[in-house]
Amino acid sequence: MSDPHQLLGAYAVDALPPDERVTFEQHLAVCETCRAELPGFLATAARLAETETQPVRPELRATVMALVSTTPQERPVVRPLGQQRSRRRLGVAPLVAAAASIVAVLAVIGLVVENDRAEQLAAQTERVSAVMTAPDAAESASELNGGGSLSVVSSVEHGAAVVMGHGLDPLDDKHTYQLWTMHDGEARPAGEIGRKSGMTFVADVGGADGIAVTVEPTGGSDRPTTDALGMARI
Amino acid sequence: MSSSDRPSPRLAAASGEAGAGIPATTATPEGASGSPAELSEFLTRAARGDEIAFARLVDALSPTVFGLARRILRDPTRAEEVAQEVFLQVWQTAARFDPARGHAKSWIMTLTHRRAVDAVRHDQSASDRDRRWGNAGERDFDEVDETVTTRLEHEQVRRCLDGLTGLQREAIALAYYQGYTYAEVATVLEANPATVKTRIRDGLVRLRDCLGVES
Repeated sequence: MSDPHQLLGAYAVDALPPDERVTFEQHLAVCETCRAELPGFLATAARLAETETQPVRPELRATVMALVSTTPQERPVVRPLGQQRSRRRLGVAPLVAAAASIVAVLAVIGLVVENDRAEQLAAQTERVSAVMTAPDAAESASELNGGGSLSVVSSVEHGAAVVMGHGLDPLDDKHTYQLWTMHDGEARPAGEIGRKSGMTFVADVGGADGIAVTVEPTGGSDRPTTDALGMARI
Repeated sequence: MSSSDRPSPRLAAASGEAGAGIPATTATPEGASGSPAELSEFLTRAARGDEIAFARLVDALSPTVFGLARRILRDPTRAEEVAQEVFLQVWQTAARFDPARGHAKSWIMTLTHRRAVDAVRHDQSASDRDRRWGNAGERDFDEVDETVTTRLEHEQVRRCLDGLTGLQREAIALAYYQGYTYAEVATVLEANPATVKTRIRDGLVRLRDCLGVES
């Protein structure tokens, strides 16, 4: 595709077809410039609605308020205020901060994203929060060689884990932080965090005793080609 | 998780019956206007389960939410459904709103636009819309119902739209008010799709600066 930045305007006025919308949202998740510019575009587009004001039937309000009175709300989210400060601390704080950081991304893009085409993202968020809030969720963490830390929230019930790298040195575009589930010393590929600190969802941790991270060439490897920076036990 | 596990978000004692008892603040046909700060405050309170604050928000914004949905969907019944869905979504996800990131109104209008566009694309086949466009002929801002109270803000939006080039304005209007994809816009305007993408972007930048929206 041509320069995805050019799509920001079309995205802001919902002029992308579904497939390109999904692709662009993936780009958005990694493009800080775009995320910085998007709110201004959305706010501008929103102003275009002002010319369309119309009287409403009172029934609309009544219906909405009736629905509201029987509809539970999402629980409040913790804002990532402490994210910078807490990133070297282990335990709950970074987990909460990391959880909040996905929510923060969602606040910029995700809220816009409540639609069937963004099911992927929504499903991902749902899976992440299901694990984070599971009654049997267990947390562990490991300091990493070379700085930063890896924290893991896993749930036996879900057979899944949410893995967060904090304070990782950013890698060049030829390398990635890859995760491995460890089974008695055997490493199985478990996805990537990416080139810098971030979070990923590991769908299958059944039987694993820990999650390790290595630096691998972009695209990932079938087995570790470098020493593990560290391992968080499950 | 069942909703009965958690404290009820309702402030039932304060609000009486399910909002029905909350006096409407709608003083004018286009609703209580509410300053941006006020609306953000309502939304923040709604996030804590305050139905009264939420009702204020509905009063203030439903004319614009419904109006935009109606512009895009045309069918008033369908537009009302979309407006209901939007407000329900706002209620459910209010906790995600962060006043530091923008205005409540902008957030809600963004949700509205997305839903209305998705609905119109779902409802109509592309050929229907093409036909509709063909029959409708030139459909632009002049078409806005002038019985609607015109506010200064409207004037500013129109003035800024007038400041765009023809292609920028038409591309943005077709995308925003008709829910066209950029490829559909390109077809209708007989322009290159890549050019349309660029014009939408340039046009938004110019509009943003003209409207004084913080970038």
